[in-house]
Amino acid sequence: MPPAPPVNFRLNGQPIEVSAEPARILLDLLRDDLHLTGSKRGCDLGTCGCCTVLVDGRPTLSCLTLAHLVDGREVTTIEGVSPPRGLTPLQRAFVDVGATQCGFCTPGFVVTATALLRDRPHPSRDEIVRAISGNLCRCTGYVKIVEAIERAAAEGG
Amino acid sequence: MHLDPFELHRPSSVDEAVDLARRFEGRCDYLAGGTDLLPNYKMHLNLRPHLIALQDVPELSGRSLDRLGAMERLADLEGDRPLLAAYPPLGDAVAEIATPLVRASGTVGGNLLVETRCFFFNQSHFWRESLGYCLKADGDRCHVVPQKQKCYATFSGDLAPALMAVDAEVELAHSDGRRHLPLGALYDAAGDGIRRLTMRPGELLTGVRLPAATRGQRGTYLKLRVRPSFDFPELGVAASGVLDGERVVRLRVAIGGAEMRPVRHDALTDALVGERLSDDRLRAFAEAVQQATRPVHNTFLLPDYRRRMVSVFVRRAVERLRPGTAG
Ligand SMILES: Cc1cc2nc3c(=O)[nH]c(=O)nc-3n(C[C@H](O)[C@H](O)[C@H](O)COP(=O)(O)OP(=O)(O)OC[C@H]3O[C@@H](n4cnc5c(N)ncnc54)[C@H](O)[C@@H]3O)c2cc1C
Ligand code: SF4
Ligand code: FES
Ligand code: FES
Repeated sequence: MPPAPPVNFRLNGQPIEVSAEPARILLDLLRDDLHLTGSKRGCDLGTCGCCTVLVDGRPTLSCLTLAHLVDGREVTTIEGVSPPRGLTPLQRAFVDVGATQCGFCTPGFVVTATALLRDRPHPSRDEIVRAISGNLCRCTGYVKIVEAIERAAAEGG
Repeated sequence: MHLDPFELHRPSSVDEAVDLARRFEGRCDYLAGGTDLLPNYKMHLNLRPHLIALQDVPELSGRSLDRLGAMERLADLEGDRPLLAAYPPLGDAVAEIATPLVRASGTVGGNLLVETRCFFFNQSHFWRESLGYCLKADGDRCHVVPQKQKCYATFSGDLAPALMAVDAEVELAHSDGRRHLPLGALYDAAGDGIRRLTMRPGELLTGVRLPAATRGQRGTYLKLRVRPSFDFPELGVAASGVLDGERVVRLRVAIGGAEMRPVRHDALTDALVGERLSDDRLRAFAEAVQQATRPVHNTFLLPDYRRRMVSVFVRRAVERLRPGTAG
């Protein structure tokens, strides 16, 4: 079998070249080949948002993205959103408010909300609710998640 | 879930894309945002060995008040206030498609050509194998209407009725040439549900033309679904038109999420032109649209309920065209 063709992109700020079959899904590449397991596989069909990453800054469902189609682009996963040490103010707010229980959905929410606060530093409650409406959480009932995003916004992101 | 192997092609022009589609006729799919195709591929629904990715074709991007490129992403439309104000049914529909994360990748072309849905079809391979396949994928009978050799899967795109209500046209490209037609004519009225589009094999949808004549007209799109984010339409009703006081000057009503294709009820609306739209008249009109709409039992809500909602939604949608009402 010929070797799988290469994909070149920036991953969490670093240029990277990996080989991937054309049918390789970005989420599988990240988790299984690159061992970045922060992005979660929830439904694998676009309905839960647990696999959300940023592609050129835009929240993107990595379970519905072909790895080859991020060639030349910038991909940021939850590992890249998090600072090398400690937490971002948004992550800190998630912890302080109690917006994370089992934690499975948390990376997806944090990535989605990070993009929201970048584009709209002071979103209304309604804008927050709309922005996270593609992320599912089975534990918290969302109230604390919305509160955490509000708190992070109040504290300047 | 892993995808079965396929070859991925990345044309950089429309000509290149349609040439590839000719070369691999019957063995390829176009890939736009992938939010419909890839879930279906993951469930082993009608796999093809060649995927032609459209994201590098510049001609398919760009939008104005006159035209939407097929690869325009739904999330980008959502932020375009002048466009949505010019075509209100479009604005209502876009905001209600799937979730913000799906809209970040989902495109206009992919939405108009979204695969029809049925709860015997949108299931894992294991599930479908256990029950026995159906006509739409791998099988030879329909589980919903077994006495017919037809597929009744429901057309569940939100943009189509909204754009049909404002008289949009679609542009198509084939290796033999280009053409354009009214959006409604894209959906084959004589089809058997398996063949449900009038597009030729390999034909590419390049864009949507928005007519100046309906620009700024009042209009709305109302969607019935169980969860207000996420769900596909169980019914979608678009209305657009002009009322002069109580009198109907122009009116279009299109229904999606109810049958195998989106349907615009021109005969019924034409009969209202020049008439005074009294409450009784509106009620009778809405009932007539309901009479003409026949959902089957292949989505979440029961067809009888969806059908009864047709007249309710039609009435609400048309009421919003009245001067002085919100919307
Ligand atoms: C959780 C979830 C919820 C959803 N909810 C909704 C909803 O509420 N309403 C709704 O309408 N849809 C919904 N969808 C379906 C889908 O996301 C949207 O319809 C989306 O707009 C499809 O666009 P796409 O670019 O991703 O299409 P793709 O998946 O890339 O393509 C869809 C089909 O169109 C063909 N195609 C695409 N572009 C072209 C072109 N230019 N020329 C020729 N053929 C083309 C493809 O070959 C494929 O058959 C949902 C999807 C998910 C995962
Ligand atoms: S309507 Fe019938 S043929 Fe079509 S997908 Fe459903 S079960 Fe299959
Ligand atoms: S794993 Fe991607 S949306 Fe659920
Ligand atoms: S914290 Fe458990 S799913 Fe959200």
